Amino acid sequence: MRLTSLARLLGTALLASAATSALAGEVVVSAAASLTNAFKDAAQSYEAQYPGSKVSLNFAASGVLLQQIVKGAPVDVFASADQETMDAAQKQGLVLPAERMDFVSNSLVLIVPHDSKLGIKSLTDLTHKDVTRVAIANPASVPVGRYSEGALKKANLWDAVQAKAIGTQNVRQSLDYVARGEVDAGFVYATDAAIMKDKVNVVLEVPLASPVLYPIATIKGSSNAAEAKRFVSYLQTAPAQAILAKYGFKKP
Amino acid sequence: MTLMMTPMQLDLDIRATLRSGKRRFDMHVQCTSTSQRIAVYGPSGAGKSMTLKAIAGLFTPDAGHIRLNGRTLFDSAAGINLPPQQRNVAYLFQDYALFPHLTVRQNVGFGLRRGWFNPRAREKLQKVEHWLAAFHLQELAHQFPDELSGGQRQRVALARALVAEPNALLLDEPFAALDPALRVKMRLELSQWQQRLDVPMILITHDPEDARILGEHVLYLRDGQIDSMEEHKALGERIG
Amino acid sequence: MDIAWTALALSLKVAAWATALNLLLGIGTGYLLARTRFPGRELLDALLTLPMVMPPTVLGYYLLVLLGRRGTLGIWLQDNFGINLIFTWQGAVIASTVVAFPLVFKPARAAFEAVDGQLEQAARVLGISEMAIFFRVTLPLAWRGILAGVLLGFVRALGEFGATLMVAGSIPGKTQTLSVAVYEAVQAGQDDVANTLVLITSAVCIVVLLSAGRLAPGRIAHK
Repeated sequence: MRLTSLARLLGTALLASAATSALAGEVVVSAAASLTNAFKDAAQSYEAQYPGSKVSLNFAASGVLLQQIVKGAPVDVFASADQETMDAAQKQGLVLPAERMDFVSNSLVLIVPHDSKLGIKSLTDLTHKDVTRVAIANPASVPVGRYSEGALKKANLWDAVQAKAIGTQNVRQSLDYVARGEVDAGFVYATDAAIMKDKVNVVLEVPLASPVLYPIATIKGSSNAAEAKRFVSYLQTAPAQAILAKYGFKKP
Repeated sequence: MTLMMTPMQLDLDIRATLRSGKRRFDMHVQCTSTSQRIAVYGPSGAGKSMTLKAIAGLFTPDAGHIRLNGRTLFDSAAGINLPPQQRNVAYLFQDYALFPHLTVRQNVGFGLRRGWFNPRAREKLQKVEHWLAAFHLQELAHQFPDELSGGQRQRVALARALVAEPNALLLDEPFAALDPALRVKMRLELSQWQQRLDVPMILITHDPEDARILGEHVLYLRDGQIDSMEEHKALGERIG
Repeated sequence: MDIAWTALALSLKVAAWATALNLLLGIGTGYLLARTRFPGRELLDALLTLPMVMPPTVLGYYLLVLLGRRGTLGIWLQDNFGINLIFTWQGAVIASTVVAFPLVFKPARAAFEAVDGQLEQAARVLGISEMAIFFRVTLPLAWRGILAGVLLGFVRALGEFGATLMVAGSIPGKTQTLSVAVYEAVQAGQDDVANTLVLITSAVCIVVLLSAGRLAPGRIAHK
């Protein structure tokens, strides 16, 4: 007898918690790994602005986030670190072109551990024999990896550097390896380098063919469309822009 | 083939304290004997097994000495404690301790090979074949211990022990695992073997018949102490 | 499907090395803990079992800190041997060895404890040295239980992901094992590659597990 009433109690509790989350206007935001710190702050500020609202954040490489959405993850807002990923999402009918916009820009930098004695001053220095490991995110699924590959190919250094590349799953992992000194150099965004400025040194800003523009969009068919739109609009407001600027993101 | 043995001289004086949880067992056993057939008789828990194991080197007493045939096996004062490998005695366990993964032939020949490899199953060593024949084990030579009866296993254990030509034969309740009829038969057989081989024997038992028939010099052990000793011509000799 | 076969070959290589290491370590520690008594024995057993219950990423983190360029062991290895294990297949071997160790060690200990000590005593009295006793009596009677553990350790090493990713990274041909390759294929949306890799890994694991099942401990080998 006890067991069935316990089961009933648990069942009701579970249903109740599920119901409350649906009712409270929760917004699920999948954002590129480089937006981790900025979006955490922005979400807090958003929840303070609109009491009762809830933002659930999900950070990973843009390519990974895309796959999750493709496979049906209940995401309401998607912010990626490059146009290519968002284009792919649009092509698969996951976002509406009208709902898509660029909201920040970033730059690609080459960083080294703060105690590095190798004297790396340029991209070409990466081909030097003393440089044995360079962290580059996996181009197949990570935008920063694609930007790096593009830049190195343009400088005719891709083949030489790729032989020493340590592939990472996202930009934060690259940052971590440089900070730990496990690699001699790495490619990250200026905003990531700023977070660990005591552990990494920026060697140079890598020139790119086209600027790094981050698009954001609401997902088609999301269950919280209104809430999602409100969050995206919020990111345009002064307080949100201030937060983004604080972390080094520039206007698009 | 008889084993040419000098009469056994056993000079034993050992002390030990065993603790198990809150229980404590003190033993002090002394014995000097030139008998070829010593029986240590007493109830369960008297310390018989520990005494026999001490002679074999499977148990180290806290203090005392053990000398066998003039050779010091253990002397706590002099810091001597020969490992079992060097004592050259044979020990027969109550449940025979035959190696279950080896055939009868391999079991018997086990002690003859000193390296890291067991005797091969097909290998026939002269000494091994001799003892297999002596104990009528030839037909069973290729079988495994779990395929044998109790009496057969005992014979294999005995053959294994004797192949090494030990200075003394130590038997731990050798007939406890057998039924009464078999016991009578095996007692007689053992008595005859012992006489024929002239190998000194120390036997521990809680069965008075064992002591009566196989013990020329009987030690009564109780609560870790020798109660009394008796020397008499072992009945087995008269029956012969 | 080049990537699949490269990843498979690498996974098998890493798992084989890790299992070989664990065979030695597992038998050694299993025997030690089975046959000797010392204060703190069970505490040591618990510590040695820890990798089995810890999240692999946590283990990976500890290994990264320990073996990295700034880690105690990492610096020692670099100074004395000029080697760095991070981002190498040898590092992947270390990660897999640590993760799979309890799976080999615990069954080994149990197998040794199941061997009747009296048989070893009998061998001693017959004049056989301790080493010879181990190879002639103890090991032959314990090997089935040990082998079952070794096979489990092998599949665990084969499937290792979390610790490996942290310590060895994902370098195709060098450290991109099957599990890591699957992960990346899924991330990049390459479902066909992922499916192939998953099928291969599953097939290998099933085969190994079936073999392990046939060696259930307790059955003495009879020829």
